[in-house]
Order: sequence, then structure tokens, then C-alpha cells
Amino acid sequence: MSKKSRSKLWFLVHSWLALPIWFFVLIVCVTGTLAVVSQEIVWLVNPDMRASKPSDDAPLLSYDQVIAAIKQAQPQTQVQGIARPDESHFALEVKVTYPDGRPDTVYVNPYSGVVQGSAPAFNFRGFTRALHGWWLVPFTNGYSWGWYLVSLLGLPLLASLITGLVVYKRFWKGFFRPTLRFRHGARIFWGDFHRLSGIWSIWFIAVISITGTWFLIEASLFDNQISISSAPVIPVVAREDVPLSADGVAPPQLSLDRAIEIAQQRIPGLEASFISLPGNAYSHLEIGGRGWYPLMYQTATLNPYNGDVAASRLLTDRTALEFVTESMRPLHTGDFGGIWIKLIWFFFGLILSMMVLSGLLIWTKRTTLATANAFKRSQKPVRVAQSLQPSMHRDSPEGNL
Amino acid sequence: MTAPNTASPPSRLSLFWRKWRFHLNVLLLLIPLGFMPKYFSEAALFRGDTGLGEREIGEVQVGPWSLRLAEFRNEAPRPNGPAGPMKHFNAALCQACISQVKATYLRIGKPRSLRAAGVIFFGSPYRMGALLPVPAKTQPDAELWITLEGWDGSMHQAAIPLSQASPATVAWLNTQGARP
Repeated sequence: MSKKSRSKLWFLVHSWLALPIWFFVLIVCVTGTLAVVSQEIVWLVNPDMRASKPSDDAPLLSYDQVIAAIKQAQPQTQVQGIARPDESHFALEVKVTYPDGRPDTVYVNPYSGVVQGSAPAFNFRGFTRALHGWWLVPFTNGYSWGWYLVSLLGLPLLASLITGLVVYKRFWKGFFRPTLRFRHGARIFWGDFHRLSGIWSIWFIAVISITGTWFLIEASLFDNQISISSAPVIPVVAREDVPLSADGVAPPQLSLDRAIEIAQQRIPGLEASFISLPGNAYSHLEIGGRGWYPLMYQTATLNPYNGDVAASRLLTDRTALEFVTESMRPLHTGDFGGIWIKLIWFFFGLILSMMVLSGLLIWTKRTTLATANAFKRSQKPVRVAQSLQPSMHRDSPEGNL
Repeated sequence: MTAPNTASPPSRLSLFWRKWRFHLNVLLLLIPLGFMPKYFSEAALFRGDTGLGEREIGEVQVGPWSLRLAEFRNEAPRPNGPAGPMKHFNAALCQACISQVKATYLRIGKPRSLRAAGVIFFGSPYRMGALLPVPAKTQPDAELWITLEGWDGSMHQAAIPLSQASPATVAWLNTQGARP
């Protein structure tokens, strides 16, 4: 095969990867981009979710103080768990159940303990994630087929990146001589835009496509009952470890602050950014948070009566494979280093969405040109027709098509 | 990719196809649109808008205590990987017994002892849930046994027919009968 026809073939592959499914890819990119900052969008819209400081030097309440504040405001409400979001401008998210049997998530001010409000009935964050992640197809038996449909896109995305770099000859030169021509018509502009944003997004497209492909592998492993987890199954609290009670009421449980203290003594560096309270008399208290490696959580599982650490799951407990696979999700979502990482992910998500659109525009404009030329070719001598499309040959690497 | 240079003019259908073939994937948007009502009804179910579950079974007296039992979904047990088919029940303890009851269990058939009382309920006493394994070979006339364990060491049991607890499960079991 000649060099020219080989690059033509690569170019054909590159355009066919997304072209027949461009709208699907576009919506997945746009919803994914929104999902990255969905929590921030809700924060902007809903004041209940904000952690306003009553005064500049107001200290953060401890978990016990938070529980006490909720108990005082709503004595009947039962608390199941508390999560302290990564960014300090977010209120605590507390999972509760009301006496009428309704579960709820309430926003609690971390400085005053005031229950500021309930999560709205329409969960924007959950909805964008569901639309992006599984196209809203319900999970009934294992992973939903919508999950497969979306995560399969990781493969053409990765192939687009590779073929794109192959057809864009000497793409690294684009870093030193960025080209974005505005005055040569839409076709030239979108071609320049596609190449320029492409080379600056190499890392991002690689991250998104590889982690997206991991979601496909993850689902396939799960649905075929293959586990790569090294996490042990933690048995329930033994019957003899649950104290007997002479008066027929539940024995006292450890205070949360004491439990965190015990866990941190046993496990240096354990952060308590979420706590889940025991689900019944025989289940454990779980404390967890990020360690020095921001992409993974560490947890400690405690007996709520005597404070024995039943199990812990630290960074060092993970196998090398788990270090890679457990890092995939935060890398995909950009949720591992606060608002700035999220904004970077959001920006490149927009760029990636625009790449789908610009790719489509280039193709339609080129086809229109080619069709017009072919029409003229059928009426005029071939020689003249060729001279009618000079810009395609001169201006772009893919102009040889 | 360029228009073919054939002698006869292309038919209207093929022109239409050429023009719109790459936009047909817009129709994929019908999938999430179609599932949207389902998505929101599921969200409402998990939010507890419909009570404890899709189908309330009613108040069951268990010794001195009582609980309200409900099928989370009014449907047959769902397959759950190697664990086999599972049925999700929700329950709420009576207000007076919340402080006295240590644990609530569910089992198909009478438990031999407290240690074999079945699956334990998780969650707040206002709304707790348990995933009950329902083997396909279960007899449709089986009974669902509820065991309550008190903090004072006492144990109380009650049984209701499976047909009362979950008609959908019994209907499903009747279709499983033919299998070996």
C-alpha cells in the first residue's frame, strides 16, 4: 500500500469512529461534563447546601456535637450516617430516617449544627450521573445494558485519539505553532479548532477513554461473577460481643468522637470524612476518609460497644492491581482534589464535546464541497474540477482525501 | 463518501438515506426519554414517597411487639448473581417496641433456633430492609417467619403465609415448579 493510500485509510477510520454515532457521543460528553460540576451547580442554586460561617473564627463541630444538635432540633429523627464533603464550602450531608418511615438526606451546617434543609426531591447530581453513566436504563440483574452502551464508547474514543495522532502528521509542531484561522471560512476554522484542541487534550482523552473502558471491564467482571477484590468479608459482631442488658433496653454505644480517636490511634493518618452508624445491633460502625493518596479511601470498622477495631482497609492493604483499578473512577470524574481539579475536568470536558461537534462540522462541510465538486466534475472536464478544490489540498493534513 | 457517478439518478429514498444516515443516531435519545418515567418512579420509591414499599402487607403481631411489613417491589424475586433470587422486604417496628427490640429476622420456614433465624434487617427501626433469598424450589404454600429478639434476651416469632406476604413471589414459584 502506498503511503498516501495508507494515510487515507487511517483518516477514513478516524472519521468513521464517531460519525455514525456522533450525537450519542456528544450527549454523553455533555452530560459527563455537567456531572463533574453537578455538586457545585446544586450548591449555587440551593443555599441550604452551603456551609456559611457564623463568624470568622467559628470552629467546626465534632461529629458528636452534630448528632446532638440534630437530636435537639428533631428528637424523633434517626441518623444513619454523616459525610463531610471535600470542599469546606459544602454543608455536612446527613442520612436520616423520619418516624413516618421516610429516608432523607439533610444539609447540616458544620459550624452551628443547624439543619438547613433537605435534599430536593429532584436530585440533579444523581440524574446527570445516571444519564451520563447508564443512559437511565435501570439495573435489574447486574449492570444495566445502558452502562455497557455508554462504557463501550471508551473504545472508539481511544481509537479516535490514536488514529487522530496518526493522521495529524507531526502533531507536536502544533504545540509550538498554534494555528486557529478565523478568516478562511468555517471549514478551515473548525479543522484548526479540532486539531488544536485535540493536541492539548491528548492527556484528557487518554484518561477518559482508558477509565471509560475500565467501566466496561468492571461491569463484565461483575456480571460474570469474577472478583479481583482483596478486601476480606467482615463477619458481623459476635453474639457474645454485644453486651447483655438487664433492663431490656439497648446498651450504650461508644461516642463517635471516642470511636474516631480509637481508630486514629490504631491507624495513623486515618481521616474521618464520613461515618456510617451501625445498621443493626450486630453491625459495625464505619469510619473513613482519604489518606495521603487522594484517589482512594481508607476505612476502619469498629465494634460500637467496646471500640475493638474489627477490620481496617488501608492503602497498604490494596494490591497493585487494586491501586490501578480503584483509581479509575476518581480519575474519570475529576473528584479527588477539590474544586480546581473539577474545573480543569469541566473545561476539558467542554473541549471534548466541542471536538465531537467540530469533527461533525468538518465532515459535513467537506462532504458538501466534495459533492459539489463531484457534480461539477460530471459536467465539466476532470482537469477543471481538480482546480476547483485547492484549499483542501493545501491547508490541512487530511486534505489528501 | 463522494456521490457516485452513476448514469441513472439516485432514487429519493437513497438520497434521503445519504443525507440523514449519520443523524439517525439521534434516535438513541429515545432510550433515556423512554426510561425517564421509570427513573423518577424509582427515585420516588427510594425516597419513600409510596411508604415502606410498593405493596404494604400490613401490621404483623409478634408476641408483645408488632411490625409493619411491606414488599419493596410488588414483583417476583430478582436474580442476584451466585446468591440466587432475592426478595426485598421492608419493615417498621411499632413505636413502643423500638427501644426493646434488638434485632428482626426473616426466614422462609420455621427457624430451628435464634441462631438460624434467617436474614437480619438493616437500617433505622422506622424503615429497615432485608434481602431474603428465595430458592426457586421453595414450596408455594411455604410460610414467612418473622423473629424478633429483645434486648432482655427474649425471642418472639410469628408466621404469615407466603401468599399473603408476596403474591408475586408465589406466582413466580408456581412457574418454577416444572424445573427439576
